[in-house]
Amino acid sequence: MAIKETIDESIKWAEINADVLRSLETPRKAYWVTLAICVIMLFCGIAAETYQYNVGMGTAHLSNPHYWDMYLSSFVFWIGMSHSGTLLSAILLITQSNWRKPIYRFAEAMTTFSLLTAAIFPLVHLGRVWNVYWALPYVSDRGLWPSFTSALLWDTFAIITYLCASVLFLFVGMIPDMAICRDSATGWRKKLYRILSAGWTGTDKQWRNFRQAYLLMACFLIPLAVSVHSIVSTDFAASLNPGMHITSFPPYFVAGALFSGCAGIMTLFIMLRYLLNFEQYMTLEIFEKVCKLTFVIAMVWSYLNLIEFASVWYGHDLPNKEVLIFKATGPYSPIFWTMIFCGSVLPFTLAFKKLRRNLKLMMAVSLLINLGMFAERWMIIAPSLSLAFEPHQWAVLWPSIVQWGIVFGSFGWFGFLILIFVKIVPSVSMYEVKELVYHHRRELFHWDDKFILGIHSIDLQHKKLVRLVNELHFAVSYKRGRELLEKTLHDLSSYIDLHLDYEEKLLIDSGYPDFDKHKKGHDLFREKISSFVDRHNIGDETVQHELLEFLKGWLTHHIQGEDAHYVAHIDESEHKDEN
Amino acid sequence: MKTKRYLGLFSDFDKAFSTVMAIRGGDIPDLSVDDVTISSPIEHPEINDFLGKRPERISNLTLAGALFGLVFGFIFIASSQAAFMVQPLGGKPVIPLPNNFVLIYEMIIFFAIWMTFFGFLGMSGLFKNSMRIITNRPQTLYSERVSLGEIAIIVEVTDEQEQPLVHLFREHESLQVKHEDIE
Amino acid sequence: MSIKNLLENWSSYRRGSEGGGHHNYEHRWTMSINLDQCTGCNACSTACYAENNLAVVGKERFERGQAMHWMRIERYWDQPEEEEYPSSGASFVPMMCQQCGSAPCEPVCPVAATYHTPDGLNAQVYNRCIGSRYCGVNCPFRVRYFNFYSYYEDAWPEPLNQQLNPDLSVRDKGVMEKCTFCVQRIRVAKDEAAMDNRKVKDGDVVPACVQTCPTSAITFGDALDPESEVSKMWESQQVKRHTYKQKKKDPNLRGYRIFEEMNVEPSVMYMERIRDEKV
Repeated sequence: MAIKETIDESIKWAEINADVLRSLETPRKAYWVTLAICVIMLFCGIAAETYQYNVGMGTAHLSNPHYWDMYLSSFVFWIGMSHSGTLLSAILLITQSNWRKPIYRFAEAMTTFSLLTAAIFPLVHLGRVWNVYWALPYVSDRGLWPSFTSALLWDTFAIITYLCASVLFLFVGMIPDMAICRDSATGWRKKLYRILSAGWTGTDKQWRNFRQAYLLMACFLIPLAVSVHSIVSTDFAASLNPGMHITSFPPYFVAGALFSGCAGIMTLFIMLRYLLNFEQYMTLEIFEKVCKLTFVIAMVWSYLNLIEFASVWYGHDLPNKEVLIFKATGPYSPIFWTMIFCGSVLPFTLAFKKLRRNLKLMMAVSLLINLGMFAERWMIIAPSLSLAFEPHQWAVLWPSIVQWGIVFGSFGWFGFLILIFVKIVPSVSMYEVKELVYHHRRELFHWDDKFILGIHSIDLQHKKLVRLVNELHFAVSYKRGRELLEKTLHDLSSYIDLHLDYEEKLLIDSGYPDFDKHKKGHDLFREKISSFVDRHNIGDETVQHELLEFLKGWLTHHIQGEDAHYVAHIDESEHKDEN
Repeated sequence: MKTKRYLGLFSDFDKAFSTVMAIRGGDIPDLSVDDVTISSPIEHPEINDFLGKRPERISNLTLAGALFGLVFGFIFIASSQAAFMVQPLGGKPVIPLPNNFVLIYEMIIFFAIWMTFFGFLGMSGLFKNSMRIITNRPQTLYSERVSLGEIAIIVEVTDEQEQPLVHLFREHESLQVKHEDIE
Repeated sequence: MSIKNLLENWSSYRRGSEGGGHHNYEHRWTMSINLDQCTGCNACSTACYAENNLAVVGKERFERGQAMHWMRIERYWDQPEEEEYPSSGASFVPMMCQQCGSAPCEPVCPVAATYHTPDGLNAQVYNRCIGSRYCGVNCPFRVRYFNFYSYYEDAWPEPLNQQLNPDLSVRDKGVMEKCTFCVQRIRVAKDEAAMDNRKVKDGDVVPACVQTCPTSAITFGDALDPESEVSKMWESQQVKRHTYKQKKKDPNLRGYRIFEEMNVEPSVMYMERIRDEKV
């Protein structure tokens, strides 16, 4: 596990505080413009919903057979978007990917607010909204309970659990940052942060319990997120309609959710980086990693999509096959092909470094990917309902402006919540960035351009050597256990042998005149290393630090000294060979 | 009897750790490392080497929460299904198990996470601190410079240990020393 | 109290329909429709409108699929190539709620607004419905109808509201509804039989569609009564209730249930129209 360089290591802790806290202050004009747009969208949604609430669901142009339309698909879309935070925050925490540290805060906020946005849709889509609490399992005076066999009720349980879990996870992760804000704030903000920081003072007892609690919550959040979207998929998979009744829906939906979430992270990343001037923390290296992750998940989703089509195509279930053909060639086909294009073809732009660095293009790509995913959710519902079992009720119907208005409003609601959040809570996690910077500064051996010799294979090997030395340093100083230490030591010594042999062979082949001297240096080095290893094997604990210091010194000296000497010679002999 | 609480601020971890090692080494008579607390802006991975192994008991609470969720979930759901015979379903059993598995899974995670959260607040002392904030009592000894990046060492001492401790702090280049009386 | 209930009845509560289920049926209302006799006149549909306070929604909403016809006549053309008499290819299927024994609409309602009565009917509880429409999505026959608007406000202007049937409610918007086999008439018949201290006879219960059909294409009765006309019809057509693979000894028998392979156990048997070329 090497600590890769993703943000500049020389940032001081106080500077991190200042930069991030500044983002909480008076925003720039673009922020107000974005906020205004979100509020307008929200009002559109509220107007549409008021109309629908007063007149009836018919204004949404729902019908028999189209009982479900954009409301359910938006619901699934927003639940899917909420998997961004879980992926970035919880899963990458477990895999110890440090590059998540500057960006996971807003991803987790995205999770919570996506869930709050998704929670609008069960309300909007019900015919009698005022009775929605009947779906909750409470002891009613009439002895009535909800029906536990219904997938919509499993949704209720799952989403309430997920909402609680992600709010708690977000809150717990925020506490040290809230303490920093409290210490620097004045006035009403100080009171707010004093409440939110729950009396955090940074003692070792608090940190110890914090780390354990955070990790445990992450461990539970991951199976929860997988189960939530699987349960949402059973809304469709548990019904009997062709095109919905597909067993691969749970993993398909989870993959689609991770995909949506990653694209959402990309969008918010670019937006927040610009709005809050976070270029130093939300670096392009981290963005590249997010893009690569999105690309991988795009391929997973495309594969699952493909096997869904393949299993229908090769099966004997005629209604299902007809629905698939209807999706691809019927009146809904433009939306189908938009989904295919945005979900499977467009992500290939994420595979090229030059395109990844073009932020405007990436913003457009991430928005289009989410458009494709929205289309995907709709394509699951509408064509299956259009071409279900009863032939008399086959019909092609399009949603009305009321539905569009409400869906539009949900985006406004989401944007509004996020924009308010980033002004109250720092969207870059200060204490995690400090940890990142601190660990990186403590890396023993920093690879520098001055170590580059120009011979590609040798440079690669030197780089790997430096990385192995750093891993050994990490294993030693962070007490990662005897097993890791043994393994790293073994890897290092065997790679040293490999590298020295390779170098010597290269020098022999090219007829290097000072070869004997060079080889003597190598042999001395080999002796020293084996004496260190022997001392380690008999249980000498102090040898590790000595070994590391020796390696660092020797490598620095040797690469820049003796190895540099033969560079010119190798170049010459290569040119001779070419000629 | 411990009468005073002292806070010494240091500019980085190394100085703070060397101070702790000095206390551990017995430089101050009768002062053990268990009376020492370190306040820092980040958690240092080697901190257990200096302060000794201290208990981490939240995982027990999480397990308790998960088990409770499992048992309570099943009893709650099965009983409500058994009680709600007013509207039975045709062709399905009254207590279907596949549905119940899904719901019990969610309840396990629900209770595990709430127990972890409350366990964290309780065991880390944050609950006590919050209660002090709400009831307007004085807070634990703390320096706001910790959030800026300095490390604080908090030690509880008796009257005799006071002077040696202050001397030790000054020796290790502390930036500030505060104290309060333990009520 | 409910935990005690749970422990005592555990084994019977765990039985699904294959094991006999937990329930005992008093009656089992069943229907049989002879498609050869159906002329597609829509009298049954109209009668249903009148009997059950169904609103006429108007042309625009009907075209959009928001109609409320609990009983609808589905018209299929199965001899399109017939040039001399193209209308001879018209088939009419009166389609209403099949009152499935293992109804797919029942388990999916989040608030249990639809359940199975001891009469074998699939009942919709209007007061409990919150309008999630999952039942409508899950019905393979698409015979569930949703109140998309508050029809009571403008569907029956004075004096039309005087024609409303007082035996059942006028539903508000946001509630799902469907054919109930004229449950209000079933209740009246059962009450009268109880008052006279006798059992319900075959012919006591006549739903509106059965009453109105000019060709008597629809037969209604109690399947648990072996002497009822409908039981005899089912038996003569060798259609059994509890299976989805009907094994018939005589291949010329016309009786079938729609979407048999869905295994939802419909209570309505259709008898296939005799095609001209067969005769």
